[in-house]
Amino acid sequence: MGGMLVKYGVGLLAAMALLVPGNYTLSHPYTLSYPAYYGNRINTTDDNPLTVEGVALGRRLFYEPRLSVSNTISCGSCHQQSRAFTDSLRFSVGFDGTPTRRNAMTLTNLLWVRNFFWDGRAPSLEAQASTPLTDPHEMGQPLERSAVKLKADGGYPGLFAAAFGSDAITGERIVKAIAQFERTLISADAPYDRYLRMEYRFTATEQRGYDLFFGAPGRQIRSAGCGNCHGGPRIVTETYHNNGLDHVPADSGRESVTGMAYDRGRFRVVTLRNIALTAPYMHDGRFADLGQVLDHYSEHILYSPTLSPTLRDTASRPVLLHLTGEEKADLIAFLNTLTDSSFITDPHFADPKINVR
Amino acid sequence: MKLIVFVFSFCLLAQAASSQQIKVTGEVTKPLTLSAADLAAMPRSTAIAKDKQGVAHTFSGVALADIFAQAGVTTGRQLRGENLAKYVLITCADNYQIVFSLAELDSSFTDRVVILADQMEGKPLPQGVGPFRIVVPGEKKPARNCFQVTSIAIKFAKE
Repeated sequence: MGGMLVKYGVGLLAAMALLVPGNYTLSHPYTLSYPAYYGNRINTTDDNPLTVEGVALGRRLFYEPRLSVSNTISCGSCHQQSRAFTDSLRFSVGFDGTPTRRNAMTLTNLLWVRNFFWDGRAPSLEAQASTPLTDPHEMGQPLERSAVKLKADGGYPGLFAAAFGSDAITGERIVKAIAQFERTLISADAPYDRYLRMEYRFTATEQRGYDLFFGAPGRQIRSAGCGNCHGGPRIVTETYHNNGLDHVPADSGRESVTGMAYDRGRFRVVTLRNIALTAPYMHDGRFADLGQVLDHYSEHILYSPTLSPTLRDTASRPVLLHLTGEEKADLIAFLNTLTDSSFITDPHFADPKINVR
Repeated sequence: MKLIVFVFSFCLLAQAASSQQIKVTGEVTKPLTLSAADLAAMPRSTAIAKDKQGVAHTFSGVALADIFAQAGVTTGRQLRGENLAKYVLITCADNYQIVFSLAELDSSFTDRVVILADQMEGKPLPQGVGPFRIVVPGEKKPARNCFQVTSIAIKFAKE
């Protein structure tokens, strides 16, 4: 009951704030739309509800090069829509030419991600976004400085007012708006979605790839077990695994977050949606194409003490799939059905300065 | 020299294992942080489960019910009314999560004893699985026999 009163009181205060003369703005709730099969375990926060105006501002900020100290790069530089918001490089390049430590991640279906970065160290998109913005070798600019630069642009105060109820430009609001935009980057219109909606029939090779990927119990088809980690309609379970890239991992991965030896070389499993667009692959971009990725799981998984239990047998030996050439081609055919061409051409996700919709 | 290195790394691993702890939080009267030594000192239970190859193994550890007794969870005669809307969320190091309803783990509802195991056939759990795992005896699918448990949270379904 006490909790109810507090909530009610805060709501009332917020409503009053909106009524203060000169500060009067009403933003419109943004309705997220996604298929029921994606489930509702979404990662949103009560203190940053999505609004139409907030998403629009976030989109503009996402493509705003003045958020970098050199005024040359934006979030969109390394997260390019045409590549499912990646950049085709092993390591992205910051404003000063320094390569990043890990491969730029896709921004596909972040609404459901609960722990961001390859090592899962950020619990929200708000917490994540400030890192590349302020990292001295990425965009290299403190948020306070970004706020000052945006204030000098006549257009921004009005956009902040529309999004947040007052024209104050702060680092916190910059990050919140970008997070709002990123939550709208939902990919759910791939051929695989049409398959799930029973509007598309797989070709023979796609069907064989699908069966291998997920396994087909009772049909005497062997399973490559991909779906154990890349499972469900979003083609991901958010877990951390050491997938046997190295005997001695050069990057300690999740261990650097938890301090636990058993997390050495573990990285977050990523969605395979739009995977054909996001080469190169792995946290360090070591594999140039999907063929190399399948070769890894097929023939090259290496033992280390933290190798995922799903990739080793009971005697701790790596399980090598020894896929045939045809099986690899089938898997790639299935992976290609995860490419969502409307996601990468949706004008709502594009640079608003180029595409005004 | 090799032996020295081996012994040294074994000591390091042993030390790491002993530093790993499990948090018991949520709807408890006494939140716990349990170490391997704490679990060793608690009432011990066993459970049998099959591995990937279908071979049965005997695990030993502490019944979740006994951990709940120590943490002050509503069990037994208290497990009625709204307390039946409580569930147990188990989280593992790899972020894998599973749930039980509280009633599934209570001796007044079932004879099945689910344990937090720290030993298999009298030895510490194998690499990648330990130091602590869940063993649900008799479950047809092994998906809740999860590895490297880091947290046990008792929660209320609030909807």
